[in-house]
Amino acid sequence: MNTRIDSQKAHIKLKESLMIIMLVAPALIIFTTFVVIPVIQAGYYSFFKWKGLGPLNDFRGIENFIRAFNHPVFITALMNNLKIVFLSLFLQLPTAFLLALLIGRKGFFGSMVFRGLYFFPYVLAEIVVGIIWKFIYDPQYGIPTFFARLIKGGDIQIGLLGNLDYAFTAIFIVIFWKYIGFHMILYIAGLQGVPKELEDAAVIDGANKFQVVLYVIIPSMWSAIIISVFLSVIGSFNVFDIVWAMGQGGPVHSTETLVTYLYNFGFKRFAFGYGSAIAIIIFFLCLIFNIFYQKYVVAEK
Amino acid sequence: MNKLGRRSKIEFSDLYRFIIGLIAGIIMFFPIYLTVVGGFKSKGQIFVNPFGLPNPLSLEAYEAILIRGQAYWTFLFNSVVVVAGVLLLILTFSMTAGFAISRLSFKGNALLYNFFIMGMLFPLTVAILPLYLQMKSLNLLGSRAGVILAEAAFNYPLSIFIFTGFFKEIPRDLQDACYIDGGGPLMFFYRILIPLSRPVIATVSIIVFIMSWNQFLLPLLVLSDSSTFTIPLGVMQFQGQFTTGWNFIMAFITISILPMAVFYFTLQRQIVSGLTSGALKG
Repeated sequence: MNTRIDSQKAHIKLKESLMIIMLVAPALIIFTTFVVIPVIQAGYYSFFKWKGLGPLNDFRGIENFIRAFNHPVFITALMNNLKIVFLSLFLQLPTAFLLALLIGRKGFFGSMVFRGLYFFPYVLAEIVVGIIWKFIYDPQYGIPTFFARLIKGGDIQIGLLGNLDYAFTAIFIVIFWKYIGFHMILYIAGLQGVPKELEDAAVIDGANKFQVVLYVIIPSMWSAIIISVFLSVIGSFNVFDIVWAMGQGGPVHSTETLVTYLYNFGFKRFAFGYGSAIAIIIFFLCLIFNIFYQKYVVAEK
Repeated sequence: MNKLGRRSKIEFSDLYRFIIGLIAGIIMFFPIYLTVVGGFKSKGQIFVNPFGLPNPLSLEAYEAILIRGQAYWTFLFNSVVVVAGVLLLILTFSMTAGFAISRLSFKGNALLYNFFIMGMLFPLTVAILPLYLQMKSLNLLGSRAGVILAEAAFNYPLSIFIFTGFFKEIPRDLQDACYIDGGGPLMFFYRILIPLSRPVIATVSIIVFIMSWNQFLLPLLVLSDSSTFTIPLGVMQFQGQFTTGWNFIMAFITISILPMAVFYFTLQRQIVSGLTSGALKG
């Protein structure tokens, strides 16, 4: 009798386990096959010299990593990413914050329309955005050329993207334009959480505009700022499409970023070991930032 | 001092705000404007008058792309197939997985959840080289199916995170009531959980749609034949052809962003809140 109940119970248990497996398996299999295994493989390959074919037996230790840090183009790429991080944090995000203060208030006339306009570039493909700006910078038809001709006259051509000194700045302007609306929207969401009474109280106490922003508004929306900074830094380390569309890292590798470097020097040359080492470096940069950020910024709050 | 304090009552007048906002808006929108008008110009017009309105309106570029050319329609078709496939894989399987994780008790439940969530740590770029070899060994290179599977795989962490979080909030009583009425867990999932999840389904769909529609690196890695190209790859290829004039490129871009623009301006509120809430949660 007892054994019958037990076996019935076991039967139900089995049925339930089967159901759980069926529910979870598809996502688990796809995720494991196309994310987890490749990530682990990248870590493993990074210690080898390997063309992606034949046996994986040319173990080189950390040689790939050393090689990367001795390669001037890699250093340029790394510096470009750091510049993007820096410029985003100190130019793009503050501008986005000012825009949010400017139009973010509820009931402000035109607020929704402006939000829609500023945010729109965010939903466009980076590759499309890059090509649009290639036109804007076109040496023959572009805006810089137009103004140069207006001021100096004559048949001048200004090709910013072909210029070693200006190509990076030109590309950063595009990044600035594309993502500013996104950060502004994050800040507007944050502003909704600022208690109005607190602002009023500060004003009554004689605080000026600047002080209100600094001591009341910013602390009250700190979590929105934390997220925006986080996304901006991680995104900056992974810039690819825009740079690719505007010159694939050229001229002469001057606008190369870590990911275009990975593509140009890893994938295109079938250097799967070396490329994987680059990928691991990108991953660790993000991870280290993540850990520090969680520990010192997010936890502080 | 007091007077000044009152005058500067935190914000300055709405008119100033409006004017500055408008100027910023014009600057922000100018590139889009250039693209749209550029497509309606002839090659000569672009050269003489790159910024102004087209005069006369030229349909030369659109005619060449939409009527005489096949490429745009092919790219559009491929993009639709890929986005639909990714949406299908994401919505069904991250909902079933999220359901099992949040509402059914089994061993390794929390471990499984963390396994998926950990995926958010890995940017796509970390995995692309081995992913390429993986695709090759599975015979998926060159196929849209490969792109669909990879895009879905990289989006499971966020979508499972969102669904699991939402499912957890649904009161236990509902589940018990369903069981008392003789329904099993699957019945509860179908009849109660899915209908309740409509807003979250919308959020996830918006995030996934935009990500997939715009995705460039993965298709670039997997696809090689232009008959399988999605729109971003197609645009890149189209502008690379030497014979293509800027008016053609602009027309091509305009109709490529048209589906997204229509989607965006009709559902703006949901899209903006969906994308930001996705970010706030992630």
